[in-house]
Amino acid sequence: MSPKTDNPSLQVNLGSLKLKNPVIAASGTFGYGEEYSGIIPLGSLGAIVTKGLSLEPRKGNPPPRLAETPAGMLNAIGLENVGLEIFLQEKLPFLRKARCPVLVNIFGSTVEEYAELAKRLSAVDGIAGLEVNISCPNVKAGGAIFAAEPKTVYKVISKIRRATSSFVMVKLSPNVADIGKIALAAEEAGADAVSLINTLTGLAIDVQTRTPVLGNITGGLSGPAIKPIGLRMVWQAAQVVRIPVVGIGGIVTAKDALEYLIAGATAIQVGTAHFIDPRAGLKIIDGIQRYLQANNFPDVASLVGSLKIKKDTGQPT
Amino acid sequence: MKPKPIKEVKARIQQHRRVGVDYFRLRLLCPEIARLAQPGQFVMLRVSDSSDPLLRRPFSFFRIFPPQTKKRKRPEDEGALEICYQVVGRGTSRMTQLREGERLDVLGPLGKGFWPEEGRSLAILIGGGIGVAPLVAWAEQLRREQGKKKRFSKTSGNLKEVLVLIGGKSRDKIPGIREFMRMGLEPQIATEDGSLGFQGLATDLLERELVTQGHKSAALYSCGPLPMLARVAQITDQFDLPCQVLLESRMACGVGACLGCAVKVRDRTLRGALEDEDARAQGAAVHLEDRCGEEMAGSWREGLAPIIAEPPAFFRYVRGCKEGPVFEARDILWE
Repeated sequence: MSPKTDNPSLQVNLGSLKLKNPVIAASGTFGYGEEYSGIIPLGSLGAIVTKGLSLEPRKGNPPPRLAETPAGMLNAIGLENVGLEIFLQEKLPFLRKARCPVLVNIFGSTVEEYAELAKRLSAVDGIAGLEVNISCPNVKAGGAIFAAEPKTVYKVISKIRRATSSFVMVKLSPNVADIGKIALAAEEAGADAVSLINTLTGLAIDVQTRTPVLGNITGGLSGPAIKPIGLRMVWQAAQVVRIPVVGIGGIVTAKDALEYLIAGATAIQVGTAHFIDPRAGLKIIDGIQRYLQANNFPDVASLVGSLKIKKDTGQPT
Repeated sequence: MKPKPIKEVKARIQQHRRVGVDYFRLRLLCPEIARLAQPGQFVMLRVSDSSDPLLRRPFSFFRIFPPQTKKRKRPEDEGALEICYQVVGRGTSRMTQLREGERLDVLGPLGKGFWPEEGRSLAILIGGGIGVAPLVAWAEQLRREQGKKKRFSKTSGNLKEVLVLIGGKSRDKIPGIREFMRMGLEPQIATEDGSLGFQGLATDLLERELVTQGHKSAALYSCGPLPMLARVAQITDQFDLPCQVLLESRMACGVGACLGCAVKVRDRTLRGALEDEDARAQGAAVHLEDRCGEEMAGSWREGLAPIIAEPPAFFRYVRGCKEGPVFEARDILWE
């Protein structure tokens, strides 16, 4: 143990990207930053990830788009977004003033669209990096998702890697058989980091009408209910890749965030919790700092991946 | 455009009362929000500290008590908000347990409220069930704008009269009757079971009013169940009267970030482009193809209007919590 640290450092490095603290607002839950700017000081967060962006605007799914579930929620927004042009004209100017690194979450329906978006965004000022969402329908492969196969992950990420020198983080889907293999494929393709988990596919039914609650039938499950799964997958991915892992899934309190860090996450993302408490991210930053002080950690990095496992117990498979 | 201020406060519960079989009133001391609140806007309440039920619940204002600078006779003069809620699910059941004196986490004010329609001498407020609640706050505001009087009078000003038409399943399922009376408004009441007033629907009262009285200079403000609002929209369209509707939708964040509370509205922009010959020549039909299929786009290309009254192509989703919850009725696609 090092001597007692009064002022532990919260700074973390995601590859080339330096963040003042490990707490990031998750894509799809924080709009384009502006929506929360009247409520909390955005500059206090480690980074913001914007709502998933495609080349062309997308209308999204028919409502209802939300369903509350035990300790969680289902959403089927359908990747509604303003499209690249309007994002650059109307959303980015505000984000540039936010005094907080901005990661732009991107998706496409073909490998070419991903690469095109990455290329066009890399020429833009005020963007710290990209988060690539590979869990959306791949039109060309007949509705499979890129995230499901190491081969397709490798293909799309290497194409993006050739298109941009920006920081590239790949957001992984939990709806896969072997998360480790998928994370490795992203690393081999040149990703700077991986973030996980995205939502789990779920269903809610109205028994009175015997119809699905959501307009899209199924939706993505998020919130406290998914924390154990996110934590397990982060731990598995962190075992196999050398690039930083960013933990997402059900993080509401500082304790949740610490669990993810101990499991091997270099940073974490707060999503659904911000709906309940716009200050959740800020409270988590404070809580991490207090924990580091109380337990004599000089910085966040010394906590990352510090999970103690007895030799003769469960090893990751 | 600077974002409108949104406050998050721990508000003390000043009053919590049952006012019907499953209707409750909750008054919260929160001057910071009451100062900014407009009728038709809403707050998101955190109904439990646990993660189940998880999400905040949205509630419109039943009454707004802005903080009084001079005389503070009543507790609410410090600045309070009152909501009226109906027990419908787990969140509202949980709320019935809340005690006076406890604190509740309140986020607001949120969304776009009602706005006065220019040059109209009559405001018709039409509400159904729990949807009557936000119309009470709006009536109080109209009264204030009429000249700071406690009661309505047919005096000067743009707006001369307010007409209130309210309905519900039965007499105990209509909030706010007493409040309207106190303002000097005599609400016309319809109940489905005939236990009070006219047996039927509030929309029947509206039709009767418009057919018999004309009311050419009326503007309508409405809140209630969706079928009722759709009917109000239809009637006001027939009579060519401006009409605002307050829509309920499932929400997660309440601040416009999650896009969960989508409301389907007419997309006049695209439609305008398609009705414009130049735009058509420049391939607006191409846009149409991915919106409503090749066949229809083909007929546009040949300059033929497809024979459907309201082509399904011209819609977009807007946020119930940000662009709404109050919309112009004619913008909504009622399905």
